[in-house]
Amino acid sequence: MIRIVYITLLFGLLTACDLIDYHPYDGRLSSGTETDINRKNIEKIEALCQNKDTIRFIMISDTQRSYDETEDFVHLFNDKIENVDFILHGGDLADFGLKKEFEWAHRILSKLKVPYVALIGNHDIIGNGDQVFKKMYGEENFSFIAGNIKFICLNTNSIEYDYSHPIPDFNFIYNEIGDSTRNTRTIVAMHAPPGNEQFNNNVKIIFQEVIKRAPSLMFCLHGHEHNFKVRDLFNDGILYYGCTTMGKRGYLLFTITPDSYTYEEIEY
Amino acid sequence: MKKLNIKRKFLLFLLLIAPGLAYAQKTEKTEQEEVTFPCVTFWNKLIPRYIKTQFAGSIGVVSAGVGWNYGKGHWETDALFGLVPRNTDRHAMATFTLKQNYLPWKIDLGENFYFQPLNCGLFLNTLFDDDFWVKNPDRYPKGYYTFSTKIRIHAFVGERITYKFKRQNMFAKSISFFYELSTCDLYLINAIENRYLKPKDYLSLAFGIKLQII
Repeated sequence: MIRIVYITLLFGLLTACDLIDYHPYDGRLSSGTETDINRKNIEKIEALCQNKDTIRFIMISDTQRSYDETEDFVHLFNDKIENVDFILHGGDLADFGLKKEFEWAHRILSKLKVPYVALIGNHDIIGNGDQVFKKMYGEENFSFIAGNIKFICLNTNSIEYDYSHPIPDFNFIYNEIGDSTRNTRTIVAMHAPPGNEQFNNNVKIIFQEVIKRAPSLMFCLHGHEHNFKVRDLFNDGILYYGCTTMGKRGYLLFTITPDSYTYEEIEY
Repeated sequence: MKKLNIKRKFLLFLLLIAPGLAYAQKTEKTEQEEVTFPCVTFWNKLIPRYIKTQFAGSIGVVSAGVGWNYGKGHWETDALFGLVPRNTDRHAMATFTLKQNYLPWKIDLGENFYFQPLNCGLFLNTLFDDDFWVKNPDRYPKGYYTFSTKIRIHAFVGERITYKFKRQNMFAKSISFFYELSTCDLYLINAIENRYLKPKDYLSLAFGIKLQII
């Protein structure tokens, strides 16, 4: 009798290794979790889009706590949607900054048939989420080039940090603008747009002036506000496109041709 | 008095009412038998009855502490300190857990062994780390995030097997081995809303040893 109890106990323990969790905010990734995702996928995107004159990409955002909807989107995309080069995630992969939330989100998004890159959202910073993001996705500010367009992807979640951490990071933006040998046009993507409570609104006008120095700034992209939005925030002709959440089953589809672009707000 | 939120009410319940009920039962007997000052019996009751150590279970890689049995052995309250280990880009963190156990059944297996097929309850865990907060720091607009990153509430179920030593004059009177599965508030919110998440995603396994010393 005792032996049976012991054996069942031991068997239970040995088969349940997935279940070992040191703490919800333990930042150690589970074995097998992919790291450096953005860099790896950027390599693929840049190779895929090289010498292409028309670029098509989808923006999704705020997938936090919407794993079912995200999975539905991945199935829909893989089965029905053709000729899209890559997917841009506008941030908030996690809701509580938990390591497991990042891992669940990537487990689903890694099934996409095209590469995806993810921005950092405010919910990705909570607790030690920013460290998990850094390990899994890489730097909080990054850029990549698709065709002749540079995507500058920025952390704009200022409220999550003290002033010791520069958000938005103007040094990074200047460097990206300065290094324009491979691109003739620019798109700036961020999680929270200027004017939002997350943004450092003391510098929003300066921010706008600086990003406009980039070669042919086309438009800006953001998430965070949980609705489709198209706004000329500074009345200067630069449009800010806001993407809705995965929970609301919506995404943005952009088609960029050599001399113009179109966009669609799609609900599935 | 201002309204207390649910977490605080639970904490108050743990601290005051639950042990109080058990003490009330015991004091009737002891007051008749022993002639001691009330303060002495009070302090005697605060002496921990057992020590416990646990591996994993969302409160640290290892945690250890003391606890008290009461209510005819059906109730136990643990106070455990845990350690979340250092990793490549983060320092180690200490945690503290207050855990309430309920063990409704005890099956005698003979030869001084007994088995408790259900050990369930709740525990509160807090992180000792400045990056985590109970209430939103001042930099946020009022009520920006509706949860605390510092305090987690967990629910668990498990089982336990105990061997009572034949010699009762040793430091330990009995030794128990247990395992349990738990989940916390934030995992549960994710799990409830998504069919995609399976028990192996949001359950956390722990196992450990308890030494009864009094």
